Amino acid sequence: MRRETQHVLLLLVGGALLRIAVDDTYLRYVRPSHRWLLVGAGVVVLGLTVVAMVSDLRGHPAGARTGRMSEPHPHGRVERYVPWLLLAPVLVIALVAPPALGADAVARAGTRNLVVQDADVFGPLAEGAPLTVAEFVQRAVRDSTGSLEGRVVTLTGFAVRDGAATGLARLTIACCAADARANRVRLLGDLGVIAPDTWLRVRGTVQSGTATAATGYVPAMTVTTVDVVAAPTDPYEY
Amino acid sequence: MTTSVARPQITSLHVVCAVLLGAILLRLLAGDVPSAPALRTAATVFVAVCVQALPFLVLGVLLSGAIAAFASPAVLRRALPRGTGAAVPVAGAAGLVLPGCECASVPVARRLISQGVPDAAALTFMLAAPAINPVVLVATAVAFPGEPLMVLARFLGSLATACVMGWLWQWVGRAEWIADRARRGVTATDGANRWGVLAETARHDLLSAGGFLVVGALTAATLSVLVPAEWLDALAGRLLLAIVVMAALAVVLALCSEADAFVAASLSTLPLLPRLVFLVVGPAVDVKLIALQAGTFGRAFAVRFAPATFAVAVLCAVGIGSLILGVR
Repeated sequence: MRRETQHVLLLLVGGALLRIAVDDTYLRYVRPSHRWLLVGAGVVVLGLTVVAMVSDLRGHPAGARTGRMSEPHPHGRVERYVPWLLLAPVLVIALVAPPALGADAVARAGTRNLVVQDADVFGPLAEGAPLTVAEFVQRAVRDSTGSLEGRVVTLTGFAVRDGAATGLARLTIACCAADARANRVRLLGDLGVIAPDTWLRVRGTVQSGTATAATGYVPAMTVTTVDVVAAPTDPYEY
Repeated sequence: MTTSVARPQITSLHVVCAVLLGAILLRLLAGDVPSAPALRTAATVFVAVCVQALPFLVLGVLLSGAIAAFASPAVLRRALPRGTGAAVPVAGAAGLVLPGCECASVPVARRLISQGVPDAAALTFMLAAPAINPVVLVATAVAFPGEPLMVLARFLGSLATACVMGWLWQWVGRAEWIADRARRGVTATDGANRWGVLAETARHDLLSAGGFLVVGALTAATLSVLVPAEWLDALAGRLLLAIVVMAALAVVLALCSEADAFVAASLSTLPLLPRLVFLVVGPAVDVKLIALQAGTFGRAFAVRFAPATFAVAVLCAVGIGSLILGVR
């Protein structure tokens, strides 16, 4: 691979990292605090490439001193073509910009909620308070003080298939979308037909005793109102 | 470079331009490409793994460049104990200070080898750094609030894996398994140009390691939609099977070592021991790392090192886990 081609590849990679970090695109893939790592990495990649280009233009390619990429070298056939693969994420980001994980990822993750135990005792809840889906499931499964009992809460998530009915789900990520865990809630009530991946804000109360091992720790909620809402800028919970 | 520009000849630069033009045309003509949900999920996971790992890879190649430019073989020899046997645990403990995911440590280990650090010590550092650094240990403590022993077990299990692999390499490892290109050093004699050496080494490492990272991300994304979730449901109550499956999952999922504790913690139907195996195996060997190591040290290295690391990691995790956590 010629040095000029290497420069083009790295400029594209650095550009792609900066591109997804300037607006909210990066939130589909990684957690918010990762933004500064992306900006830093993009700037370093562009910087390294510009330094190499300037040094090439001045007529003493650094490759003659250190690297061997631009000369005939003893790499195997496969190794020589591997840097081309850096085009793959650039093209996928530029052409497709895949959406945040949604109903398909939830369906793939089985039917049970995988609950990390944060605590046994939770603080009291205000009436109608917005909760993350993860905390709602936590409280329904673990809370020994029954803070959810009879409380109207507001949850935001996307619609998923729940047998023949519609459920609500939201994904929690720790680092990037590859480690996403699903939290599901069964919705009880007349919801009509809602397509999967439609973002919903639901108000309702938990049905006590539904989040047990027998139901796969999926709590059921009696729904009073359902609103279709726009997808939030940050699709995941943390 | 002696290529004559005048000759009409297809070069890699033309290929890049053609690919980009084709992509732009495709975007203009086809608009948003509709696709199957499974393909979209895989694409998201692919981009997520790339985007998550690239900053750490960039950190790794910068460190690698700094070692090439500023840490001469003489300095490194003085920093390590004389005998390789004693250098291995020192290199393992040095892993405490490199915060980051596993991608960062592969180019660093390669550069340590090219600067004359014994292979065994450099490989021990490569295995230890992503598993026992403070960020990972804190993340583990946060993920397992009721189980402080889990942090200790993970620390000891990973450190033991790294040291055993180092001693094993010293005992049966052969220098020729590591490709010559990994040993090729950089000669930074003129002090004024050290920064140039740093930049060029980092750029060169990024280009080759980055390609292999993409191989790993593609594999992880494909497997993430192919591995059925029912596997996990079938494991409750079967300890041995759970250990085997969790070890295999750690390899195929290729999670970042700062995030795997949260995934392990969420599998609360499983006993602690298989989950510890997951945490010890993951940072030491996974599809992303196998691709990176094959690219950096050569295929002859990867086909021996990866299975050996897998076996040693499983044994160390089970041994130390049963001592500290008991069988539960």
